[in-house]
Amino acid sequence: MNIVACFKLVPEEQDIIVNGDRTLNLEKATPKISLYDLNAVEAATELAAAMPDSKVSALSVGGKILENSKARKDILSRGPDALYAVIDPALESALPRETAAALAAAVGKIGSYDLIICGEGSGDLYAQQVGLLLGSLLSVPVINEVSKITAGDGKVTVERTLETEVEVLEVPLPAVVCVTADINTPKIPSMKAILAAGKKPITVWSVTDIGASTGGAPVVMQSILAPAQADRKKVIVEGDSDDKVAAFVESLRKVL
Amino acid sequence: MDFKLTEEQELLLSSIREMITRNFPADYFKKCDEEYRYPIEFMHALGENGISMLGVPEELGGIPADLLTQMLAIEEVGRMGAPCFLMMGAHCVHNMIDFGNKEQLAKTVEAVATGVPAYSLAITEPQAGSDNNMLGTTYTRKNGKVYLNGQKTFISGAADYPYMIVVARDPDGKDPKKCFSLWWVDPKSPGIRINRLHKIGWRMVSNCEVFFDNVEIDESALIGQEGNGFVHLMRNFEIERLTIAAYSLGPAECAFEEAARYTNQRVQFGKTIGSYQMIQDKLTQMAIKIENMKNFVYKVAWQDDNKQSLRLSSALCKLYCSQTAQEVIDDAMQIMGGVGYTEDCRISRLWRDIRVSRIGGGTDQIMTYIAGRQIVKQYAS
Repeated sequence: MNIVACFKLVPEEQDIIVNGDRTLNLEKATPKISLYDLNAVEAATELAAAMPDSKVSALSVGGKILENSKARKDILSRGPDALYAVIDPALESALPRETAAALAAAVGKIGSYDLIICGEGSGDLYAQQVGLLLGSLLSVPVINEVSKITAGDGKVTVERTLETEVEVLEVPLPAVVCVTADINTPKIPSMKAILAAGKKPITVWSVTDIGASTGGAPVVMQSILAPAQADRKKVIVEGDSDDKVAAFVESLRKVL
Repeated sequence: MDFKLTEEQELLLSSIREMITRNFPADYFKKCDEEYRYPIEFMHALGENGISMLGVPEELGGIPADLLTQMLAIEEVGRMGAPCFLMMGAHCVHNMIDFGNKEQLAKTVEAVATGVPAYSLAITEPQAGSDNNMLGTTYTRKNGKVYLNGQKTFISGAADYPYMIVVARDPDGKDPKKCFSLWWVDPKSPGIRINRLHKIGWRMVSNCEVFFDNVEIDESALIGQEGNGFVHLMRNFEIERLTIAAYSLGPAECAFEEAARYTNQRVQFGKTIGSYQMIQDKLTQMAIKIENMKNFVYKVAWQDDNKQSLRLSSALCKLYCSQTAQEVIDDAMQIMGGVGYTEDCRISRLWRDIRVSRIGGGTDQIMTYIAGRQIVKQYAS
């Protein structure tokens, strides 16, 4: 089975500095694999382990962040056999539609595939759209909220844990599935896997190489701002008499 | 001089952090310490992740890594508050590569791959610590078998590890330099009695008295060449000294970071204690000591990786790091005040554990003895 696991590199949250005007300074933020995509990569490697002669390709599209050599080794240490990266200034701040279009074109360039696995959303924008758009662009079945995948002959059986029931669906291949964060616990890379990661093949393409079109986006990013911080009111009510409790409740009522 | 870690080293340390953060919270080690319990789950995790096989040759199923990387791994485990002093798997394997036979090496690798050091090293006796020539445990031969008799003490891991290497004397040997041999022993053999000693620290591993009463072993249990016991062991003593220095560095960093964070939280007289210059001075001195320890450990590891002699530097490094780590952890406890003295705060455990670094693997005084003679000799002409 040929499996493609999609992932995104996002800035490490702890390193993000919020400027005075609420814009974000990402200069000192090191790249990390989007948390939910670790579940996608783990699901892919687990599935491949259960199916002899399977291959897992990690795929990402984006800007310069994907040039980070350590992040590349990081993703490859988590199980994929090869890495494909589409790096292009046009994808620097790509929104879901451009991302999905580039992924679809890259999948075409990789060649044949049976299953594409995405995470439930990215760790930064968390739009939860890319996987669904990708399936649509490739004109293959696409299912999200998947909490279990079992491989079969020319199909996969997936489970979706809904509010009151578990939906079991058979999906013919090729297909795209978006997995939830509770589908697995991603394995911690072993020392051996870390050292082997640097020897795995990496293919880098530009948007032109894959023949993707990134123009004509229906949505344009205007800005990303941190939430406005409200100053603390510092209202202190001391005592436990009825009056004090009433004053306390009134203070709460004013802000709610 | 390039102090930058390689990407592989950074990922390896990140993997260690992730493993401990996710699976081994501070409470796990607190409980093991309270119960005097060997943290077998943690050790197996080190094995599963391949950390215990770092530095073991690939042909033995190990993971190639230089000594600097191995020391970084020990440091990081200690920095995360985990008992790094239990990490001695690669050391066990290297001993057997150097002087063990195929079967002994295979048994060692099999155990170390699970994260557990293969054997305890039974050298010390009540009357013979650093003064090895006073060792009284004997081996004698009768009807094609070998018999061990005597008593050992302070044997780390004797009740936890699957095998034991016993240093014993040939009672008929005339030359004291040629009368000690190493024997591979199953600690569950008839005639062996093990008593746990009660210590103030290092509670997660046993330290034991071991009594040998006519313990019968085969000739094949001999390790290396007969009469060359100490020659064999001394070859890796220098690495052991460096390893103990790394055992000291990691916990010192752990205590320092915890205390530094606390100075931002603890408020006295209306201000965080970190805003007071006396606390800032303490943190500054601790930070300098940690930098010095790091540089020393890394340099000695680098020396070994570059085939340079560690004879002097490993003794200096162990002496400095074991003393300095104790100072740093003690200062961390001082910053924490009463909280630091309680068992709810892991600094108290680190404080208890660190003390033995100045005793085990050669005391401060023995390190001075080793280093001092060499320094004087260097300037003899």
